[in-house]
Amino acid sequence: MNDTLLARNVLALADDSLLLGHRNSEWAGHAPILEEDIAFANLALDELGHAQLWYELHQELTGREPDETIFFRDAADYLNVQLVELPKGDWAFSMLRQYLFDAYENVLLAHLVNSSNARVAEIAAKQRPEEMYHLRHTSNWVKRLGLGAAESHRRMTAALNELWAYALQLFAPLENAQALTDANILPDPRALQTEWENQVGAHLTASALAVPAARAPRAKSRSEHTAHLRELLTEMQEVARSEVYGVEW
Amino acid sequence: MNDSQWARYEVFEQERAGAPHRNAGSVHASDAEMALGNARDVFVRRPNCFSLWVVPEAAVFAKTAQEVARDDWYAAPAADAPRETYLVFSKKGQPARETFVEYVGEVQAATPAHALRVALETFPPQDVFVWWVAPERRVLKSEQADAASMFAPARAKKYRMHTFYPVEPIMRELKSAQGMLDNSEKTTDND
Repeated sequence: MNDTLLARNVLALADDSLLLGHRNSEWAGHAPILEEDIAFANLALDELGHAQLWYELHQELTGREPDETIFFRDAADYLNVQLVELPKGDWAFSMLRQYLFDAYENVLLAHLVNSSNARVAEIAAKQRPEEMYHLRHTSNWVKRLGLGAAESHRRMTAALNELWAYALQLFAPLENAQALTDANILPDPRALQTEWENQVGAHLTASALAVPAARAPRAKSRSEHTAHLRELLTEMQEVARSEVYGVEW
Repeated sequence: MNDSQWARYEVFEQERAGAPHRNAGSVHASDAEMALGNARDVFVRRPNCFSLWVVPEAAVFAKTAQEVARDDWYAAPAADAPRETYLVFSKKGQPARETFVEYVGEVQAATPAHALRVALETFPPQDVFVWWVAPERRVLKSEQADAASMFAPARAKKYRMHTFYPVEPIMRELKSAQGMLDNSEKTTDND
């Protein structure tokens, strides 16, 4: 019973990283400067790599191959938060989204490395150093954009007000996930949220950005999606599903 | 310089403990901390890196061996001018060969030109054709505590190495199957 439940939660982690990596890859060739183009593409690749690790664990638990799970699953069955499916927006929007997600992953992975499930702990230990670097990189950007020019501050404020309620969905548990918390496999999402809000709140304040008042997540269920997800998947899955090109990978 | 870009920082990479820091190239950045991150992302995508330094290009005092010989660049500092630590780098060998500006040591000096003068008296000048000195306070160095997150992950990413992709044998096989190889290609060794 726990395996099915764990598989579903692992799939949610995988989908979050996959879609964020995919969205960020849309900046390749378009970031503000060459160095950041390389850096942000690096982050995107890391997220895809982390997604792959979770999809592999998902396969161990369910037998479903990652390619099948990614390319032949419809939007309604994706379990990502809406935060990561939103279009990339402007640079402030993408950078702040990556920062909010990195801060979440850092508090999450700090718990997961001590998971009672050995595979979960192993994967978390592998991802954690990279996520620490991600957070350092995006924290630096948030601070400079927040404290920078009037325009960068205005764009960051707009992005934060838009993204905040979406980010809160990261702490809305999947149904029955309490059993995994009780078994010390996954952390308590309320504890995570408190840690995240403390860290993120302090950094945003230091970056002259006001933490929005919203307390409720934009969507409660990870089965609810915006129309953006279907558009993203249509493009991402097109080649794999094509009769002409959909051959052996 | 009328340049709308961010300042340029020279990047020095140390491949392993004990090896000299070697100039890898440069990055643009808004400040030193961002430069260190950019240096990591641009130059440490492949193994191995043990430590990184960045220094604003504007803080580097550089002279070629010919310029050094002309001796018109040096003015002695006041005797009571405060000293500070300068890092000294040099490039040796033939200008046409691929060599690197490498760290050779540090000196105490009052000005960049003074630092170079002391460096010339301290380090063997044979074969050196470029000297760089920079005040240590302008150099930002990566922390060893951050090595696990900054440098270690690159080691596992073999797919970043061109050798990971055996493209040529695959293309050869495809072309061969379709009768597309001409005689010269058929006899070329696989490099």
